[in-house]
Amino acid sequence: MTFKQKIESDQFVWCGEIGPPQSCDGDVIRKKAQYFQGYVDAVNITDNQTAIVRLSSIASAKILLDEGVEPIIQMTCRDRNRLAIQSDLLGAAALGIKNVLCLTGDYQTFGDHPEAKGVFDLDSIQLVATVANMNNGFLLSGAEIKKPTQFFIGAAANPFAQPFEMRLIRLHKKVEAGARFIQTQPVFDLELFERWMDQVVQMGLHEKAAILAGVLPVKSAKALLYMKEEVPGVKINPEFIDRMNQSSDPKEEGVKIAVEIIQSLKKVKGVAGIHLMPVMWESIIPTIIQAVK
Amino acid sequence: MRTDLVTFDKPPITAQERKFSRVMLFFESIIKVPLFHCQHCGECILSSTAFICCQNCPKRLRNGPCGGTREDGACEVYPERKCVWYRIYVRSKRLRRISLLYKINKIHDWNLEGTSAWLNVFKKRIPGPIWLVRNDQQKVKDIIGHDVQAED
Repeated sequence: MTFKQKIESDQFVWCGEIGPPQSCDGDVIRKKAQYFQGYVDAVNITDNQTAIVRLSSIASAKILLDEGVEPIIQMTCRDRNRLAIQSDLLGAAALGIKNVLCLTGDYQTFGDHPEAKGVFDLDSIQLVATVANMNNGFLLSGAEIKKPTQFFIGAAANPFAQPFEMRLIRLHKKVEAGARFIQTQPVFDLELFERWMDQVVQMGLHEKAAILAGVLPVKSAKALLYMKEEVPGVKINPEFIDRMNQSSDPKEEGVKIAVEIIQSLKKVKGVAGIHLMPVMWESIIPTIIQAVK
Repeated sequence: MRTDLVTFDKPPITAQERKFSRVMLFFESIIKVPLFHCQHCGECILSSTAFICCQNCPKRLRNGPCGGTREDGACEVYPERKCVWYRIYVRSKRLRRISLLYKINKIHDWNLEGTSAWLNVFKKRIPGPIWLVRNDQQKVKDIIGHDVQAED
Protein backbone atom coordinates (compact mmCIF):
# COMPACT_ATOMS: atom_id res chain seq x y z
CA MET A 1 0.00 0.00 0.00
CA THR A 2 1.39 3.39 -0.91
CA PHE A 3 1.83 6.31 1.46
CA LYS A 4 -1.09 8.14 -0.14
CA GLN A 5 -3.42 5.14 0.01
CA LYS A 6 -2.55 4.58 3.64
CA ILE A 7 -3.36 8.18 4.53
CA GLU A 8 -6.55 8.15 2.53
CA SER A 9 -7.72 5.01 4.30
CA ASP A 10 -7.04 6.68 7.68
CA GLN A 11 -4.25 4.38 8.78
CA PHE A 12 -1.52 5.57 11.10
CA VAL A 13 1.54 6.40 8.98
CA TRP A 14 5.26 6.60 9.67
CA CYS A 15 7.70 8.79 7.76
CA GLY A 16 11.46 8.92 7.91
CA GLU A 17 13.98 11.40 6.65
CA ILE A 18 17.30 11.04 4.86
CA GLY A 19 19.77 13.83 4.32
CA PRO A 20 21.73 13.15 1.11
CA PRO A 21 25.54 13.30 1.34
CA GLN A 22 27.75 16.21 0.30
CA SER A 23 29.24 14.03 -2.40
CA CYS A 24 28.15 11.99 -5.41
CA ASP A 25 28.22 8.74 -3.48
CA GLY A 26 24.81 7.15 -4.03
CA ASP A 27 25.75 4.19 -1.84
CA VAL A 28 25.35 6.40 1.23
CA ILE A 29 21.66 6.70 0.39
CA ARG A 30 21.35 3.00 -0.39
CA LYS A 31 22.87 2.19 2.97
CA LYS A 32 20.63 4.61 4.85
CA ALA A 33 17.59 3.26 2.99
CA GLN A 34 18.10 -0.14 4.66
CA TYR A 35 17.34 1.33 8.07
CA PHE A 36 13.95 2.50 6.87
CA GLN A 37 12.87 -0.40 4.70
CA GLY A 38 9.93 -2.22 6.21
CA TYR A 39 9.67 0.23 9.11
CA VAL A 40 8.26 3.40 7.58
CA ASP A 41 5.75 4.14 4.81
CA ALA A 42 7.74 6.87 3.10
CA VAL A 43 11.03 8.67 3.50
CA ASN A 44 11.66 12.40 3.03
CA ILE A 45 14.68 13.40 0.99
CA THR A 46 15.87 16.82 2.04
CA ASP A 47 16.59 19.46 -0.58
CA ASN A 48 19.90 21.14 0.30
CA GLN A 49 18.81 21.43 3.92
CA THR A 50 20.14 24.37 5.93
CA ALA A 51 21.24 25.77 2.57
CA ILE A 52 24.20 23.39 2.25
CA VAL A 53 24.91 21.85 -1.15
CA ARG A 54 24.10 18.16 -1.21
CA LEU A 55 23.23 15.44 -3.70
CA SER A 56 20.00 16.47 -5.36
CA SER A 57 16.71 15.52 -3.76
CA ILE A 58 15.17 14.11 -6.94
CA ALA A 59 18.23 12.02 -7.84
CA SER A 60 18.34 10.63 -4.30
CA ALA A 61 14.64 9.87 -4.47
CA LYS A 62 15.20 7.84 -7.63
CA ILE A 63 17.86 5.81 -5.82
CA LEU A 64 15.38 5.19 -3.00
CA LEU A 65 12.70 4.11 -5.50
CA ASP A 66 15.11 1.58 -6.96
CA GLU A 67 15.75 0.29 -3.44
CA GLY A 68 12.03 -0.22 -2.93
CA VAL A 69 11.51 2.63 -0.46
CA GLU A 70 8.83 5.21 -1.23
CA PRO A 71 10.36 8.69 -1.33
CA ILE A 72 8.89 12.09 -0.53
CA ILE A 73 10.95 14.75 -2.30
CA GLN A 74 11.35 18.10 -0.64
CA MET A 75 11.15 21.08 -2.94
CA THR A 76 12.32 24.47 -1.72
CA CYS A 77 11.73 27.90 -3.19
CA ARG A 78 15.18 29.14 -2.27
CA ASP A 79 17.05 27.59 -5.18
CA ARG A 80 14.61 27.64 -8.06
CA ASN A 81 12.37 30.03 -9.88
CA ARG A 82 8.99 29.00 -11.25
CA LEU A 83 10.50 27.58 -14.45
CA ALA A 84 12.98 25.34 -12.64
CA ILE A 85 10.41 24.26 -10.05
CA GLN A 86 7.88 23.14 -12.64
CA SER A 87 10.50 21.51 -14.84
CA ASP A 88 12.00 19.61 -11.90
CA LEU A 89 8.54 18.50 -10.83
CA LEU A 90 7.74 17.20 -14.31
CA GLY A 91 11.06 15.35 -14.24
CA ALA A 92 10.33 13.89 -10.82
CA ALA A 93 6.90 12.73 -11.98
CA ALA A 94 8.45 11.07 -15.02
CA LEU A 95 10.83 9.17 -12.72
CA GLY A 96 7.86 7.79 -10.80
CA ILE A 97 8.09 10.02 -7.75
CA LYS A 98 4.65 10.47 -6.21
CA ASN A 99 5.06 12.62 -3.11
CA VAL A 100 6.33 16.16 -2.79
CA LEU A 101 6.79 18.31 0.30
CA CYS A 102 6.66 22.03 -0.46
CA LEU A 103 8.92 24.28 1.59
CA THR A 104 10.10 27.87 1.50
CA GLY A 105 13.65 26.83 2.37
CA ASP A 106 16.24 28.00 4.87
CA TYR A 107 17.82 31.34 4.14
CA GLN A 108 21.06 31.05 2.17
CA THR A 109 23.24 32.85 4.76
CA PHE A 110 22.80 29.86 7.12
CA GLY A 111 24.52 27.52 4.68
CA ASP A 112 27.86 26.95 3.03
CA HIS A 113 27.33 29.50 0.26
CA PRO A 114 26.23 32.58 2.17
CA GLU A 115 26.98 34.83 -0.81
CA ALA A 116 24.39 33.07 -2.97
CA LYS A 117 21.33 34.76 -4.46
CA GLY A 118 18.20 33.42 -2.80
CA VAL A 119 15.47 33.04 -5.39
CA PHE A 120 12.18 32.91 -3.45
CA ASP A 121 10.21 33.48 -6.63
CA LEU A 122 7.31 31.61 -5.00
CA ASP A 123 6.66 30.97 -1.33
CA SER A 124 5.67 27.62 0.11
CA ILE A 125 1.92 28.34 -0.08
CA GLN A 126 2.17 29.42 -3.71
CA LEU A 127 4.31 26.34 -4.37
CA VAL A 128 1.60 24.07 -2.94
CA ALA A 129 -0.93 25.81 -5.18
CA THR A 130 1.41 25.47 -8.17
CA VAL A 131 1.75 21.70 -7.69
CA ALA A 132 -2.03 21.39 -7.24
CA ASN A 133 -2.38 23.37 -10.45
CA MET A 134 -0.05 20.94 -12.24
CA ASN A 135 -2.12 18.04 -10.91
CA ASN A 136 -5.11 19.73 -12.51
CA GLY A 137 -3.21 19.79 -15.79
CA PHE A 138 -1.92 23.35 -16.02
CA LEU A 139 1.39 25.15 -15.81
CA LEU A 140 1.61 28.61 -14.26
CA SER A 141 1.72 30.04 -17.77
CA GLY A 142 -1.82 28.76 -18.25
CA ALA A 143 -0.63 26.18 -20.76
CA GLU A 144 -2.15 22.73 -20.53
CA ILE A 145 -0.01 19.71 -19.60
CA LYS A 146 -0.82 16.80 -21.87
CA LYS A 147 -0.13 14.31 -19.12
CA PRO A 148 -0.85 15.99 -15.78
CA THR A 149 1.18 15.12 -12.72
CA GLN A 150 -0.37 13.13 -9.88
CA PHE A 151 1.57 14.37 -6.91
CA PHE A 152 0.47 13.79 -3.35
CA ILE A 153 1.18 17.23 -1.92
CA GLY A 154 2.58 17.92 1.49
CA ALA A 155 3.63 21.00 3.39
CA ALA A 156 5.34 21.82 6.65
CA ALA A 157 3.98 23.53 9.75
CA ASN A 158 5.75 24.94 12.75
CA PRO A 159 3.45 24.93 15.79
CA PHE A 160 6.22 26.32 17.99
CA ALA A 161 7.19 29.57 16.26
CA GLN A 162 5.59 32.91 17.00
CA PRO A 163 2.89 34.21 16.56
CA PHE A 164 0.69 31.26 17.46
CA GLU A 165 -2.43 32.33 15.54
CA MET A 166 -0.42 33.21 12.43
CA ARG A 167 0.81 29.59 12.34
CA LEU A 168 -2.79 28.41 12.13
CA ILE A 169 -3.54 30.96 9.42
CA ARG A 170 -0.57 29.66 7.41
CA LEU A 171 -1.70 26.08 7.90
CA HIS A 172 -5.20 27.02 6.79
CA LYS A 173 -3.80 28.63 3.64
CA LYS A 174 -1.62 25.61 2.86
CA VAL A 175 -4.53 23.21 3.19
CA GLU A 176 -6.71 25.52 1.14
CA ALA A 177 -4.00 25.66 -1.53
CA GLY A 178 -4.05 21.87 -1.80
CA ALA A 179 -1.75 20.30 0.82
CA ARG A 180 -2.95 16.83 1.80
CA PHE A 181 -0.37 15.97 4.41
CA ILE A 182 1.43 18.20 6.89
CA GLN A 183 4.71 17.45 8.61
CA THR A 184 5.46 19.47 11.72
CA GLN A 185 8.73 20.63 13.20
CA PRO A 186 10.10 18.28 15.88
CA VAL A 187 7.98 18.21 19.02
CA PHE A 188 9.87 18.81 22.26
CA ASP A 189 7.07 20.73 23.94
CA LEU A 190 4.00 18.53 24.14
CA GLU A 191 1.84 21.05 25.97
CA LEU A 192 2.21 23.67 23.21
CA PHE A 193 1.76 21.04 20.50
CA GLU A 194 -1.47 19.83 22.08
CA ARG A 195 -2.80 23.37 22.24
CA TRP A 196 -1.96 23.89 18.55
CA MET A 197 -3.46 20.55 17.61
CA ASP A 198 -6.65 21.37 19.52
CA GLN A 199 -7.09 24.46 17.34
CA VAL A 200 -6.29 22.48 14.18
CA VAL A 201 -9.00 19.97 15.09
CA GLN A 202 -11.49 22.74 15.86
CA MET A 203 -10.79 24.27 12.45
CA GLY A 204 -11.36 20.83 10.91
CA LEU A 205 -8.01 20.94 9.13
CA HIS A 206 -7.03 17.45 10.30
CA GLU A 207 -9.86 16.07 8.16
CA LYS A 208 -8.59 17.74 5.01
CA ALA A 209 -4.91 17.01 5.55
CA ALA A 210 -3.13 14.32 7.56
CA ILE A 211 -1.09 15.87 10.36
CA LEU A 212 2.20 14.03 10.89
CA ALA A 213 3.94 15.10 14.08
CA GLY A 214 7.71 15.50 13.88
CA VAL A 215 9.98 13.60 16.26
CA LEU A 216 13.73 14.07 16.40
CA PRO A 217 15.76 11.55 18.37
CA VAL A 218 18.88 13.15 19.88
CA LYS A 219 22.17 11.60 20.91
CA SER A 220 23.31 14.14 23.48
CA ALA A 221 22.29 17.09 25.61
CA LYS A 222 24.60 19.19 23.45
CA ALA A 223 22.44 18.51 20.39
CA LEU A 224 19.35 19.66 22.28
CA LEU A 225 21.09 22.80 23.51
CA TYR A 226 22.32 23.54 20.00
CA MET A 227 18.79 23.34 18.67
CA LYS A 228 17.47 25.49 21.48
CA GLU A 229 20.08 28.22 20.94
CA GLU A 230 20.84 28.09 17.24
CA VAL A 231 17.80 26.81 15.38
CA PRO A 232 15.11 29.49 15.23
CA GLY A 233 11.54 28.40 15.78
CA VAL A 234 12.33 25.31 17.88
CA LYS A 235 10.98 25.07 21.41
CA ILE A 236 12.38 22.57 23.88
CA ASN A 237 10.99 21.59 27.25
CA PRO A 238 13.90 22.10 29.73
CA GLU A 239 12.96 18.81 31.39
CA PHE A 240 14.39 16.91 28.40
CA ILE A 241 17.70 18.78 28.58
CA ASP A 242 18.01 17.98 32.31
CA ARG A 243 17.26 14.33 31.68
CA MET A 244 19.87 14.12 28.92
CA ASN A 245 22.43 15.83 31.16
CA GLN A 246 21.85 13.53 34.12
CA SER A 247 21.79 10.31 32.14
CA SER A 248 24.86 8.07 32.14
CA ASP A 249 23.97 6.80 28.68
CA PRO A 250 22.66 9.80 26.73
CA LYS A 251 22.01 7.77 23.57
CA GLU A 252 19.71 5.40 25.40
CA GLU A 253 18.02 8.30 27.15
CA GLY A 254 17.55 9.97 23.75
CA VAL A 255 15.75 6.90 22.44
CA LYS A 256 13.65 6.74 25.61
CA ILE A 257 12.62 10.38 25.23
CA ALA A 258 11.76 9.88 21.55
CA VAL A 259 9.64 6.81 22.38
CA GLU A 260 7.84 8.67 25.17
CA ILE A 261 7.11 11.62 22.90
CA ILE A 262 5.77 9.32 20.18
CA GLN A 263 3.52 7.48 22.63
CA SER A 264 2.10 10.77 23.90
CA LEU A 265 1.66 12.08 20.35
CA LYS A 266 -0.26 8.98 19.31
CA LYS A 267 -2.86 9.84 21.93
CA VAL A 268 -3.34 13.42 20.70
CA LYS A 269 -6.56 13.82 18.74
CA GLY A 270 -6.00 14.52 15.05
CA VAL A 271 -2.45 13.18 14.78
CA ALA A 272 -2.43 10.89 11.73
CA GLY A 273 1.16 9.77 11.85
CA ILE A 274 4.73 10.35 12.96
CA HIS A 275 7.51 11.95 10.97
CA LEU A 276 10.89 10.78 12.29
CA MET A 277 13.86 13.04 11.64
CA PRO A 278 16.97 11.18 12.72
CA VAL A 279 19.52 13.83 11.74
CA MET A 280 22.70 11.83 10.96
CA TRP A 281 21.43 8.95 13.14
CA GLU A 282 19.37 6.87 10.70
CA SER A 283 20.51 3.58 12.25
CA ILE A 284 18.32 4.23 15.31
CA ILE A 285 15.02 4.06 13.38
CA PRO A 286 14.36 0.29 13.77
CA THR A 287 15.05 0.46 17.53
CA ILE A 288 12.61 3.35 18.06
CA ILE A 289 9.81 1.92 15.95
CA GLN A 290 10.11 -1.51 17.53
CA ALA A 291 10.03 0.05 20.98
CA VAL A 292 6.84 1.96 20.15
CA LYS A 293 5.05 -0.89 18.44
CA MET B 1 -6.37 26.76 -14.30
CA ARG B 2 -6.77 28.55 -11.01
CA THR B 3 -7.05 32.27 -11.40
CA ASP B 4 -6.01 33.20 -7.89
CA LEU B 5 -2.33 32.41 -8.49
CA VAL B 6 -1.32 34.59 -11.42
CA THR B 7 -3.10 37.24 -13.43
CA PHE B 8 -3.35 36.65 -17.15
CA ASP B 9 -4.06 39.18 -19.89
CA LYS B 10 -2.57 42.13 -18.09
CA PRO B 11 -2.28 45.22 -20.24
CA PRO B 12 1.36 45.32 -21.40
CA ILE B 13 3.61 48.15 -20.21
CA THR B 14 4.50 50.36 -23.17
CA ALA B 15 7.79 52.27 -23.38
CA GLN B 16 5.87 55.51 -22.95
CA GLU B 17 4.08 54.27 -19.89
CA ARG B 18 7.36 53.09 -18.42
CA LYS B 19 8.61 56.68 -18.58
CA PHE B 20 5.43 57.98 -16.98
CA SER B 21 5.67 55.24 -14.36
CA ARG B 22 9.05 56.59 -13.29
CA VAL B 23 7.53 60.00 -12.64
CA MET B 24 4.67 58.44 -10.70
CA LEU B 25 7.10 56.29 -8.76
CA PHE B 26 8.96 59.42 -7.67
CA PHE B 27 5.84 60.81 -6.00
CA GLU B 28 4.80 57.41 -4.69
CA SER B 29 8.22 56.97 -3.10
CA ILE B 30 7.97 60.29 -1.27
CA ILE B 31 5.08 58.83 0.68
CA LYS B 32 5.73 55.12 0.70
CA VAL B 33 9.47 54.98 1.39
CA PRO B 34 9.54 57.02 4.62
CA LEU B 35 6.28 55.54 5.87
CA PHE B 36 6.53 51.90 4.85
CA HIS B 37 10.12 51.29 3.63
CA CYS B 38 8.54 50.53 0.24
CA GLN B 39 10.63 48.12 -1.84
CA HIS B 40 8.98 49.09 -5.16
CA CYS B 41 7.59 45.65 -5.96
CA GLY B 42 4.92 47.36 -8.06
CA GLU B 43 2.29 44.94 -6.79
CA CYS B 44 1.35 46.64 -3.55
CA ILE B 45 -0.52 44.58 -0.94
CA LEU B 46 0.02 47.04 1.93
CA SER B 47 -3.69 47.23 2.67
CA SER B 48 -3.95 43.50 3.32
CA THR B 49 -0.83 43.46 5.49
CA ALA B 50 -1.99 46.10 7.98
CA PHE B 51 0.09 48.78 6.20
CA ILE B 52 3.44 47.18 6.86
CA CYS B 53 5.42 46.37 3.71
CA CYS B 54 5.91 42.58 3.64
CA GLN B 55 8.61 42.98 0.99
CA ASN B 56 11.05 43.92 3.77
CA CYS B 57 11.14 40.22 4.66
CA PRO B 58 14.55 38.83 3.59
CA LYS B 59 12.73 36.04 1.74
CA ARG B 60 10.20 38.56 0.41
CA LEU B 61 7.36 36.31 1.51
CA ARG B 62 3.89 37.47 0.56
CA ASN B 63 1.83 34.91 2.46
CA GLY B 64 2.95 34.97 6.05
CA PRO B 65 6.09 34.25 8.07
CA CYS B 66 8.49 31.38 7.47
CA GLY B 67 9.02 28.89 10.28
CA GLY B 68 11.99 30.75 11.70
CA THR B 69 10.38 33.54 13.72
CA ARG B 70 12.10 33.55 17.10
CA GLU B 71 10.52 33.38 20.53
CA ASP B 72 10.67 37.18 20.93
CA GLY B 73 9.32 37.74 17.40
CA ALA B 74 12.72 38.47 15.87
CA CYS B 75 13.68 37.61 12.29
CA GLU B 76 15.80 34.48 11.88
CA VAL B 77 18.09 36.16 9.36
CA TYR B 78 18.53 39.49 11.16
CA PRO B 79 17.96 38.84 14.88
CA GLU B 80 18.18 42.58 15.64
CA ARG B 81 15.00 43.16 13.61
CA LYS B 82 11.46 42.07 14.34
CA CYS B 83 10.04 39.59 11.83
CA VAL B 84 8.03 41.66 9.36
CA TRP B 85 5.18 39.18 9.49
CA TYR B 86 5.21 39.21 13.27
CA ARG B 87 4.62 42.96 13.13
CA ILE B 88 1.97 42.50 10.46
CA TYR B 89 0.14 40.01 12.64
CA VAL B 90 0.29 42.21 15.75
CA ARG B 91 -0.96 45.27 13.90
CA SER B 92 -3.65 43.31 12.02
CA LYS B 93 -4.92 42.15 15.37
CA ARG B 94 -5.00 45.72 16.68
CA LEU B 95 -6.62 47.14 13.55
CA ARG B 96 -9.02 44.18 13.31
CA ARG B 97 -7.84 43.14 9.87
CA ILE B 98 -6.98 39.49 10.63
CA SER B 99 -9.43 38.15 8.04
CA LEU B 100 -7.26 39.66 5.30
CA LEU B 101 -4.35 37.43 6.34
CA TYR B 102 -6.32 34.36 5.30
CA LYS B 103 -6.27 35.36 1.66
CA ILE B 104 -3.62 33.70 -0.53
CA ASN B 105 -1.66 36.46 -2.25
CA LYS B 106 -0.75 35.96 -5.87
CA ILE B 107 2.69 35.01 -7.16
CA HIS B 108 4.72 38.16 -7.69
CA ASP B 109 4.95 39.45 -11.26
CA TRP B 110 8.57 40.51 -11.62
CA ASN B 111 7.74 42.63 -14.66
CA LEU B 112 6.07 45.02 -12.26
CA GLU B 113 9.20 45.36 -10.11
CA GLY B 114 10.22 49.01 -10.00
CA THR B 115 6.99 50.31 -11.50
CA SER B 116 4.40 52.51 -9.86
CA ALA B 117 1.80 50.45 -7.98
CA TRP B 118 -0.64 53.36 -8.16
CA LEU B 119 -0.42 53.36 -11.93
CA ASN B 120 -0.78 49.58 -11.96
CA VAL B 121 -4.00 49.86 -9.97
CA PHE B 122 -5.25 52.52 -12.37
CA LYS B 123 -4.34 50.29 -15.34
CA LYS B 124 -6.14 47.35 -13.62
CA ARG B 125 -3.01 45.19 -13.50
CA ILE B 126 -3.41 44.73 -9.76
CA PRO B 127 -6.43 45.08 -7.46
CA GLY B 128 -6.91 48.30 -5.56
CA PRO B 129 -6.42 48.69 -1.81
CA ILE B 130 -8.93 47.47 0.76
CA TRP B 131 -9.56 50.44 3.05
CA LEU B 132 -12.27 49.29 5.39
CA VAL B 133 -12.76 45.91 6.98
CA ARG B 134 -16.02 45.46 8.83
CA ASN B 135 -16.88 42.65 11.26
CA ASP B 136 -13.41 41.16 11.10
CA GLN B 137 -14.08 38.59 13.82
CA GLN B 138 -17.21 37.37 12.08
CA LYS B 139 -15.32 37.06 8.79
CA VAL B 140 -12.59 34.99 10.43
CA LYS B 141 -15.28 32.84 12.01
CA ASP B 142 -16.88 32.28 8.61
CA ILE B 143 -13.55 31.25 7.11
CA ILE B 144 -12.48 28.79 9.80
CA GLY B 145 -15.79 27.81 11.36
CA HIS B 146 -15.06 28.87 14.94
CA ASP B 147 -13.22 31.42 17.09
CA VAL B 148 -9.47 31.22 17.39
CA GLN B 149 -8.22 31.66 20.92
CA ALA B 150 -5.05 33.57 20.36
CA GLU B 151 -2.52 33.88 23.11
CA ASP B 152 -1.47 37.31 24.38
